[in-house]
Amino acid sequence: MVNLTDAEDVNPKGLSVSAENDADITVEQNTDTPVDEFPAEDLVFDASDLSVYYGDFRAVRDVNMLIKRKEITALIGPSGCGKSTVLRSFNRMNDLIPTARVEGTLLYRGVDLYDERVDPVEVRRRIGMVFQKPNPFPKSIYDNVAYGPRVAGRKKGLDDVVEHSLKKAALWDEVKDRLQESAIGMSGGQQQRLSIARAIASDPEVLLMDEPCSALDPIATARIEELMAELKDEYTILIVTHNMQQAARVSDRTAFFSVEVDETSDRRTGLLVEYTNTEKLFSNPDDERTENYITGRFG
Amino acid sequence: MQNELRGNFHEELDAVRDMIVTLAAHVTEAIPRATEALIDNNLEMAQQIISHDDDLDALSLQIEERCYALIALQQPMAIDMRSIVTAMKINGDYERSGDLAVNICKGLRRIYGIQLTPTLRGLVTSMSEEAVRLTKVSVDAYAEGSAGLASALPDMDDRLDDLQVDFIQEIFASHARGELKLEETVQLALIARFYERIGDHAVNIGERVMYMVTGVTPEVAGAAQAKHAAEVDALAEVAEGVAEEEAE
Repeated sequence: MVNLTDAEDVNPKGLSVSAENDADITVEQNTDTPVDEFPAEDLVFDASDLSVYYGDFRAVRDVNMLIKRKEITALIGPSGCGKSTVLRSFNRMNDLIPTARVEGTLLYRGVDLYDERVDPVEVRRRIGMVFQKPNPFPKSIYDNVAYGPRVAGRKKGLDDVVEHSLKKAALWDEVKDRLQESAIGMSGGQQQRLSIARAIASDPEVLLMDEPCSALDPIATARIEELMAELKDEYTILIVTHNMQQAARVSDRTAFFSVEVDETSDRRTGLLVEYTNTEKLFSNPDDERTENYITGRFG
Repeated sequence: MQNELRGNFHEELDAVRDMIVTLAAHVTEAIPRATEALIDNNLEMAQQIISHDDDLDALSLQIEERCYALIALQQPMAIDMRSIVTAMKINGDYERSGDLAVNICKGLRRIYGIQLTPTLRGLVTSMSEEAVRLTKVSVDAYAEGSAGLASALPDMDDRLDDLQVDFIQEIFASHARGELKLEETVQLALIARFYERIGDHAVNIGERVMYMVTGVTPEVAGAAQAKHAAEVDALAEVAEGVAEEEAE
């Protein structure tokens, strides 16, 4: 039974979980890098042989990843390696692109995210997304945060939700006296934290972040990174970043994606090269392609 | 063909490596010269070595500062990070080996005028040669990034340790025969210790080179080695048991 909404009794945050999840899971990646072992209840995503196509063009192939609860997982790699595509497949954002489709399986809490009976709106509520450019609605700060819960039909307790979300996003103290002012007047860093507050307001379990700091200055970036470390206590976070140092600073595990070019068609397909503990990946990676990329010996 | 994206940085890394090799070469030359000064009672030569050490210290400091700058400015990762960390560590080892050559010269000043017996001269010369050999192999291992060479160093160092034991026994015997005064005996024992320490630094360097090449820290490698040895012992016990059973 596929059920995204009525599983609260099984797991307050999660979904109904399939039976085989009792056993502990050994994380073995397609690069044969054992990451470590963790209990089944900590498994949030299980991608196996995941490929994403745009029409007949395969953008990324054969991704095998297990994502652990309350950890920050970073996705890094050169342009065109498919890291954003993979991130977007984790909450079905690719559905919005008519030609996009996935092959392989992507389980969220044991439920196939791409099962036709699964409601993508519910998926995106539980798996929130923060984009590269903060995109506040031209409304008040309050209305921006309250938007998600209102759309979901919530009418009572909105004040509490807004305050809680803004506090979680480390923005409350800066805006509590001007909640009715327009969000457009905020600084870039504040707008990005507002985006995070807006995602949090829908009470998600997972936050996907696609280059959340690339439009921000170093101070604002540091605040977001600090915030991520705090959010980790409650949320599972996946972040795509071009900034390797950022991946090294904030994440627990890092997945390195690379590109292979088909010589006859000149088509570029992304693939997961190495996925392991962040410290290991940046100090002693197993794969030469990872080594070449992170040390700048890549072209 | 790969395009080098961080060419300047990697040239800087090469420059650090060359500086370490230069430092090691100076140290390698200082050791036999200190030995020569000791055997020949040559105070002038000893003083030259002592003065020259200031240059080596300056070079060592320069290497260290360059490594700091690379870390601060380039955020090195993977093999680059391991190379810089290794350079910083072994920089200290070579600098210390240079100091030990100086210590040998200072020891000479305290026992100036004594004539070493042919046996003691031979043992000192052998210790010096072993110390030089170990230092040379260590720098070759580093410059070539050779884990094989690096892993040979601990066994090579055993020979220097044995020579030191022989030398100490010989000076005690000489003292007992009345050929060496107590103070001379103590100074010579210290000098033997200086050679032996140079060997230890070469072994440390080897461990650091292993880390640079393989990414495995010496502590982890040591634990793995101990585990392997225990497994071999366990297997040997089983084999013995089988052999005994067969004999019965």
